[in-house]
Amino acid sequence: MSTQLPASISEETVNEISAERDEPDWLLQTRLEALSALEELEMPSVIETPGRRWTNLEDLDYESIVDPLDQRDETERVSAEGAKVLDFETALEEHPELVEEHFGSVTDPQTNYLTALSTALFTTGTVIYVPEGVDAEDVKVRAEMNSTSLFSHTLVVAEDNSSATILERISNGSAVDGDRYFSNLVEIVTGENAYVQYGSLQNLDEDVYDFTLKRGDADRYATIDWIEGNIGSRLTRSDIETELNGDSSETKIVGAFFGHDDQHFDINARVWHNGEHTTADLVTRGVLDDEARSVYEGVQDVGREAWDTSSYQRENTLMLSDDSEADASPKLIIHNHDTEASHSATVGQVDAEDLFYMTSRAISPNTARNMLVEGFFVPVLEEVEVDELRDDIDDLIVARLD
Amino acid sequence: MSSDQDHLQKTDTEERFDFKKESKAAFAAEKGLTEETVHAISEDKDEPEWMLERRLRALEQFQEMPMPTDWPGQPDLSEVDIDEIVPYIRPDVDVRAGVDDWTELPDEIKDTFDKLGIPEAEKNALSGVGAQYESEVVYQNMQERWEEKGVIFCNMDEAVQEHEEIVREHFMTTCVPPSDNKFAALHGAVWSGGSFVYVPEDVTVEMPVQAYFRMNSEGMGQFEHTLIVAEEGSEVHYIEGCSAPKYSAINLHSGGVEVFVGEDAHVQYSTVQNWSKNTYNLNTKRALVEKNGRMEWISGSMGSKATMLYPSSILKGRGASDNHITIAFAGEGQNIDTGAKVYHNAPNTKSTIESKSISKDGGRTNYRGLVHIADGAENSSTAVECDALMFDNESTSDTMPYMEINESKVDVAHEATVGKIGDEDVFYLQSRGLDDDDAKQMIVSGFIEPITEELPIEYAVELNRLVELEMEGSLG
Repeated sequence: MSTQLPASISEETVNEISAERDEPDWLLQTRLEALSALEELEMPSVIETPGRRWTNLEDLDYESIVDPLDQRDETERVSAEGAKVLDFETALEEHPELVEEHFGSVTDPQTNYLTALSTALFTTGTVIYVPEGVDAEDVKVRAEMNSTSLFSHTLVVAEDNSSATILERISNGSAVDGDRYFSNLVEIVTGENAYVQYGSLQNLDEDVYDFTLKRGDADRYATIDWIEGNIGSRLTRSDIETELNGDSSETKIVGAFFGHDDQHFDINARVWHNGEHTTADLVTRGVLDDEARSVYEGVQDVGREAWDTSSYQRENTLMLSDDSEADASPKLIIHNHDTEASHSATVGQVDAEDLFYMTSRAISPNTARNMLVEGFFVPVLEEVEVDELRDDIDDLIVARLD
Repeated sequence: MSSDQDHLQKTDTEERFDFKKESKAAFAAEKGLTEETVHAISEDKDEPEWMLERRLRALEQFQEMPMPTDWPGQPDLSEVDIDEIVPYIRPDVDVRAGVDDWTELPDEIKDTFDKLGIPEAEKNALSGVGAQYESEVVYQNMQERWEEKGVIFCNMDEAVQEHEEIVREHFMTTCVPPSDNKFAALHGAVWSGGSFVYVPEDVTVEMPVQAYFRMNSEGMGQFEHTLIVAEEGSEVHYIEGCSAPKYSAINLHSGGVEVFVGEDAHVQYSTVQNWSKNTYNLNTKRALVEKNGRMEWISGSMGSKATMLYPSSILKGRGASDNHITIAFAGEGQNIDTGAKVYHNAPNTKSTIESKSISKDGGRTNYRGLVHIADGAENSSTAVECDALMFDNESTSDTMPYMEINESKVDVAHEATVGKIGDEDVFYLQSRGLDDDDAKQMIVSGFIEPITEELPIEYAVELNRLVELEMEGSLG
């Protein structure tokens, strides 16, 4: 591994974090194993073509942006009847077995350098437990980051026949000077016929480097839907992934981003069809203004035994300025012929005819453009089930357009 | 935007015919690749010093570059051992640079090409034809009426001698430098044969020009170089066919194609590749397209064990355009990794890419493509469409497009679909009295029709026949 381990991170650091929280031994061991694996692990893979590296994660100065012993956050959690929405420490006390069974079961802590770093150092996070048959509507987790770096881990366990709609919102509280780093791992475990919609809105300050990997494991008849909204941060690397392991499981990965200034979004949506009769729908819409840059990779991987698969992917990018750049790579990897799969990607500007139509109705060109951009996000917003999340995303889009 | 050259530098990083003839060679290089081999080839061809220098430089670059191994899902190249491949075999023909009368060819070579239908095609529909056997062109002919207009169609070795200035300017310089990739470097070191086509200003060659390449010896490499220079306002259609019989040792085909499309010129390059299924087909093909020029790549990849081929167009002049049509068919043991690359480096440039692939009996097809729109290439548009058809559950079909858009005033669209042959379609045709095999064959013919209709009739027929042969009797 070419990245130097920050001097501030050692076994003592990890021991201290764990001891402060009075954690069980298995979690300390998992943290220490992740720490010692750092040397061997690679950064998340990034697309490279002749002469162009789509995102550069290697050059980040982790030394200056990671301060593991000074992690502060303010997190507000709203539960729903019958469900448990707990901070990690409380969850470890009240449901030790549940956490031990599922922690790291969906995302291997040693997937890459950044997931291992996150596992070794996380100090905040949420466990959402939805017992069998419970319908948990409008679960909300609103987090504020108040330190130079913050590592978070969220675990959602939805048992058989349960359902949950979840809002996760991350932004900054008190301002901290200089570059910062936010890392967010989310795992979703579903039982048979469970339904989870996990909606996430990231609106961090624009000197925060943001890494997130969210991954779900869908059991038989289960559905995992993701909403991934990215507005803030200096650089975001986001991986949203679903494994359709159970027969007849389904997933939607819905993304929205709006970049301006010199923001860089590296957005990835991946689905693995492993069971039979599974369905996936990947929809991402993004807008770029100023010198913002986006990178998108979508992967639909259909396994050898994934009979009767349906898999769709669409990605659309709208460029508002001449200095923005958009790279996209939607990939299909198909091993089973009993598949109906398609993907499409477009990059373009606001449609000139639409604009003309609206200006001919006496709407000023600027207002017309803003209305069209807002409308561009409607297919994404329509998917959001938690009203607060939908309104928040919409408000942020409108605010950015002014 | 910065100058054209800057952008160019971005690109500069990187058996149906299964009868064998006893190989008779006048000169065969030793297996493997050393400076001596390169000297020997160059000497045997009596080349000018500058060409030898270019070969040696390419050899050096080849030895420095690593094998490409880290592309996602790429074909396995571990079997490709350059030291086991004979890079150069000159067939035993008296006249160097080929004869221009068919009857003068040795019988077994004539017989080979007769079976492939070369002279017939020439009689019927071609302006000129060249045929390469092993490493050298053995037959070359150009109709007189084109010669009178200054059109040159000759073999590449002859061009080095006879048209030294044009070749020296264009040969592996700005279009495909040997540093582009490992196999381009290899090609630059040991290239032999191939075609040189020169079309003067405002000349339209109305009938296609054709070359046919054939490898007949076991364990050989074929490295023909094709250079097409189409001057301002000219127009030409070049067709290439390839085949080799099947042997147990591997063959390597690493051709290089460079096309210079002048202002307002139009070049169409069509190829149907049907190498035997022990051939590694690793080519570099590229066109530089000037203002309002148009480049069309039409390729059918049927044969080979592994193919890695991504014909590319660099649209460097305002209003230049590109059209790619590709079809790939991978059967048992085949890995056809092919696609297209287009660099939009000037305003008002346009590209369309249409790709169709079929995989069956455990074969793998992959569309791998790159569209790059440079900053300043405003009002450019690109449309990519990939469709894949899968026959069975042992096969694999991948689609890996890459789009890099650095300009906002653009129209970029990519679409891909993958599916199996519809049971309903088969049922419908069966209810009309066709048997299962015929029904599926008909569906496949329909699937690739948008491509075959772009090909000259002989090639469309050949492609259809190849597909039929691939499909015969092996459907489940």
